[in-house]
Amino acid sequence: MKGLHLDGVCRQAGGRPLLENLELRVAEGECVALLGPSGCGKTTTLRVVAGLDPLSAGRVLLDGEDISGVDPALRRVGMVFQSYALYPHLSVADNLTLGLKIRGVPAAEREERLSRVLSLLRLQDLRPRRPAQLSGGQRQRVALGRALLRQPRIMLLDEPMSNLDAQLREELRPELRALLSGAGHPVLYVTHDQQEAMGLADRIAVLDQGRLQQVGDPRELHHNPANRFVASFLGRPAINLFPPLEGRQLAVRPEHLRVVSGGGLPARVVRAEWNGPQQVLWLDTAAGLLRLLWPASSAPPDTLRVDWDPEHTLAFEASGGDRLPRPDPAWNGDLIRFLQH
Amino acid sequence: MMRALLLAWSLGPLLWQLRTSFLLGEVLVGGGVPAGGSPWTLANYRLVLAGDPSLARVLLNSALLGGVTTALTLLLALPCAYGLHHLHGRPRAWISAGLVGAALFPTVLLFLSLLQLARWFGLANHLLALALPYTALSLPLAILLLRAAIADLPSELEDAARLDGLNALQRLRRIVAPLLAPAVASTGLLVFLASWNEYPIALTWLSRSDRLTLPAAMGRIASSSVFTIPYGPFAAATVLGSLPLLLLVLLFQRWIISGLTQGAVKG
Repeated sequence: MKGLHLDGVCRQAGGRPLLENLELRVAEGECVALLGPSGCGKTTTLRVVAGLDPLSAGRVLLDGEDISGVDPALRRVGMVFQSYALYPHLSVADNLTLGLKIRGVPAAEREERLSRVLSLLRLQDLRPRRPAQLSGGQRQRVALGRALLRQPRIMLLDEPMSNLDAQLREELRPELRALLSGAGHPVLYVTHDQQEAMGLADRIAVLDQGRLQQVGDPRELHHNPANRFVASFLGRPAINLFPPLEGRQLAVRPEHLRVVSGGGLPARVVRAEWNGPQQVLWLDTAAGLLRLLWPASSAPPDTLRVDWDPEHTLAFEASGGDRLPRPDPAWNGDLIRFLQH
Repeated sequence: MMRALLLAWSLGPLLWQLRTSFLLGEVLVGGGVPAGGSPWTLANYRLVLAGDPSLARVLLNSALLGGVTTALTLLLALPCAYGLHHLHGRPRAWISAGLVGAALFPTVLLFLSLLQLARWFGLANHLLALALPYTALSLPLAILLLRAAIADLPSELEDAARLDGLNALQRLRRIVAPLLAPAVASTGLLVFLASWNEYPIALTWLSRSDRLTLPAAMGRIASSSVFTIPYGPFAAATVLGSLPLLLLVLLFQRWIISGLTQGAVKG
């Protein structure tokens, strides 16, 4: 079995579970994004795979081989840290080749590998510079170069974009995507930014409180979320959750709400957020605050009525948040009627 | 205004010593200037440099001892601090508490027992043997200071080095130590200063005049006469004794300031 396999990985620290029974496969050449709020265990997962943190149960398998007990230095893992963790006192060239020097790679081979990576990342001119003399984007490339130079069997990236400004982030995304998919090893990419996850990854693994919530491609997660957490974590503006009723909670995405002339829910427009391509209207209704997408060019009215196609309704268990089968359209109508009073 | 007052407060005595060192003894004790002469003189400097022991010799002894003490202390403190930083839980807490206790212990209480040790091991009148107790006494504070500086380094740097295949010793030598340069410089200066100023142990361990360190020699100058206090020579010795320190501070100024304020503000 080629690729990375996390087999029931658990990690506890200080009596607190950080990862619980994590089961995840990343194929060769595949990029899986670990997505979740801060403290959900994304970075811990990377550190366990790299061998920087010990696991308390389970196994990490790479190409079928159990590497759980292997020293991090011997795992051939390329990792890009959130802070980049470049050695501040060394030049770009020395930052990249320190590991090779330590491993006793001959100078000629070192030089050859170095110049190959430098030209791949367009860093040739920066060879003698110190990290402090580089821009954020250049530092990121150096950190990536250091990971690539190791000829890693697996690539781990911990929020490599979070130190860059929004515009640069968007510019670098395709470049990073090309670099990562070209190499043919499994890639684990940690982020809390869903745009980034959708733009970079083949599949997304959503984590919350150390538990894997759902793995799938972006579309699947968006249209078919496994539970309430995934439904509300993914998608901007966030999904509309209705008040729980009879042990169930219904939800509809803002883009699926439609304005109707009769019937539906009466709503008052409280706020309009204009964001360029469209506006997000905040509606005060009997079902609480709802978000609705509205064309950017036209001014919204003060009051309107909204409805939705029962086909787009998602239902969750009110207490645990687990996904329930799509409710009967009649039940959907009941909800609207209930809310109208 | 406040600054001027503060400056006068700390620099005043030094400048007064400087003035004193260039004045004739008669002028210093309130007598008049000898007829037709100037009150200024270099006689005080000539006296201490030609004395037995010569102050030049004394300064060399002190510098040598200070250098060896500082080097030995840093060489031992750096790995200790690094190891302590990587310990966790109760052992670290106990060792740290022990170090704080040792750093706060008044060393003057130790000189009698140290003298006994010097007798047993025949260390009396060996200048560099003094580096042993000096290093032992400086180590606790040095370890604590360096450990605080190591704790301020981002931990991801060491993680990156681990993935690069560096073992603990290589990480200390190639990553941690170079980044600690400012903290090492300021800690080193404190250690050197402590050795430069130490009096009771030097006084009891050293008796041969060509082995004396600066504080012990100053003590001899001060007590050289029962009838007069040699203000002039004493002031000259003070000025000469503080020059090397001034030089060191100027040399490492940039590093020391960044070392002393390290951790105050997150980079």
